[in-house]
Amino acid sequence: MKSLTPPLLRCLCLNRSMDFIRPKRMLYFWIDKIRNVLLRLSWHLVHSIINLCYFTTGMVHALESHLISRGLLRKYKSLHISKIRYLAIVIESEDACRTSNVIELLQWLAALGIKHVSLYDNEGLLKKSKDIILEKFDGAVLFQDTHENNVLLDQPRMTLEFVSFYDGKEAVARAANVLLMKYIKSGGIGSNQGEQIFTESQMSEALKTVGSGGPEPDLLLIYGPARCHLGFPAWRMRYTEIQHMGPLTCMTYGSLIKAIYRFTTVRQNYGK
Amino acid sequence: MLFSLHFSPPPVIAPLPFKPLSHVPHYHHTLNMLPSTHVLKPPLCSTMEHFTLNHHGKGGGEEEEEEEEEEVDQTLPLGLRREAMPRHVAVIMDGNRRWARSRDLPVRSGYEAGARSLRTIVELCCKWGIKVLSVFAFSSDNWFRPKVEVELLMSLFERGMQEDTSIFLRENIRISVIGDLAKLPEALQELILNLEETTKNNTHFQLIVAVSYSGQYDVVQACQRLALKAKHGLVEPGDIDTSLIEQELETNCSEFPHPDLLIRTSGEFRISNFMLWQLAYTELFFAQSLWPDFGEAELLKALLAFQQRRRRYGG
Repeated sequence: MKSLTPPLLRCLCLNRSMDFIRPKRMLYFWIDKIRNVLLRLSWHLVHSIINLCYFTTGMVHALESHLISRGLLRKYKSLHISKIRYLAIVIESEDACRTSNVIELLQWLAALGIKHVSLYDNEGLLKKSKDIILEKFDGAVLFQDTHENNVLLDQPRMTLEFVSFYDGKEAVARAANVLLMKYIKSGGIGSNQGEQIFTESQMSEALKTVGSGGPEPDLLLIYGPARCHLGFPAWRMRYTEIQHMGPLTCMTYGSLIKAIYRFTTVRQNYGK
Repeated sequence: MLFSLHFSPPPVIAPLPFKPLSHVPHYHHTLNMLPSTHVLKPPLCSTMEHFTLNHHGKGGGEEEEEEEEEEVDQTLPLGLRREAMPRHVAVIMDGNRRWARSRDLPVRSGYEAGARSLRTIVELCCKWGIKVLSVFAFSSDNWFRPKVEVELLMSLFERGMQEDTSIFLRENIRISVIGDLAKLPEALQELILNLEETTKNNTHFQLIVAVSYSGQYDVVQACQRLALKAKHGLVEPGDIDTSLIEQELETNCSEFPHPDLLIRTSGEFRISNFMLWQLAYTELFFAQSLWPDFGEAELLKALLAFQQRRRRYGG
């Protein structure tokens, strides 16, 4: 028998180890494959369970809203409406042209006894439609900036205010110009760095001067897909409760009642 | 309203090389701000490490012989998309006192637990790629709280800033403090100025702490600055517009002055005079948990909700 030379021996060993390596690599490959499949399956399962939970929650909310609308839930039957002195409604500009929905909403609010409503959309479409809205909804008078707040509450009919971006940041800029003119006319007293030149109450007065001095709403309802107030006059929102209601097209009387009820149970410390 | 939730599918883990046990994962950036206790993550928050192996070899048994380069992505929890992360998150840290009361603990314990919670959130924000975190630490209305409580808060601020200075420097975190600082104790004012100066060139992350702050105060002080500029002829009377006011707001210390997401804890649905101007198009998330209980799971929930909602920017 030929003796095995070192190169031949080496070659033999290499062949044997290659024979051993290949099945092992195949094994690891299939383990990884199976693990990936199991991982994806469990991810899909978790995703399905979570979607089912959200679906169930949505169905429960819809049923609750229906029961509230029918007056079948005792908890929501008596609302302390007097706690809401001023209510603001923010509507996405895309939905702001749906005047029939807006009027229906106002009718619900009037039936509940809300005395002052500010209607806001960023682009001012509601402002442009205010004549139509006031004509079709004859339960309201137009808000005049010269009204004092206590006069608003004494009105027998609802007071409607139409607000847009013009009354928000742009109004603050106009008010700042008013303050600046007064400051320059007064000779610039208190002009050292760090000294207070303007106060917050002066800014509030200046905002009234430029026609954007409405009251601070107690509750702000946002009708739109995004949970943001879309530029509602921020100066007036310090302690306003904010509730997101979903798109205007999905509004329900039940969800409105629920939002108002929730507000009436809130207790504010105002930072103290 | 029915909801649907979409998580991005998990990545396929690339087949491991011949020596699976030799691979050691790397963490990109871990802050050592917390004590050694580690909070167990709930299953939904389990992170997945993404790693890809660059094979320089040509295949076969040579792979095990060759050096493998490892690229480790920054760790994001399951379902979060890096490209949709908010750049600036603002937080109203509400509920410390209620947390203490519910456990029959003194108010001090609530605030200390809140401070620990803040450290956790800062660490997570750094890890998950959020660039700016603003926190409403002390409102101008809070000065009306009992004197003992106010002094306690001031001492906690001072202690926190002193203890964490080295961490801010090590982790490349910039600290900015906004608010009417003239009302603060002088020692604290000096500490703040020094800390801001020391960290002003840090770029990895910015923590904005609002102390003695109110949104209305911010707007008024911006108008004041413009008035002084007008007095010196730098601004014409009548030329003030929204962009000039924005430039003078205190949040202008940040590259991203407008928060993308506001989180308020403790189940209250209002912004309480915080960043009134800046929050016009900010997504609002109201969390039920009290601030000391707000941790990774809750932050993840807020970020997932943010990534799922459409934002319109007034359009």
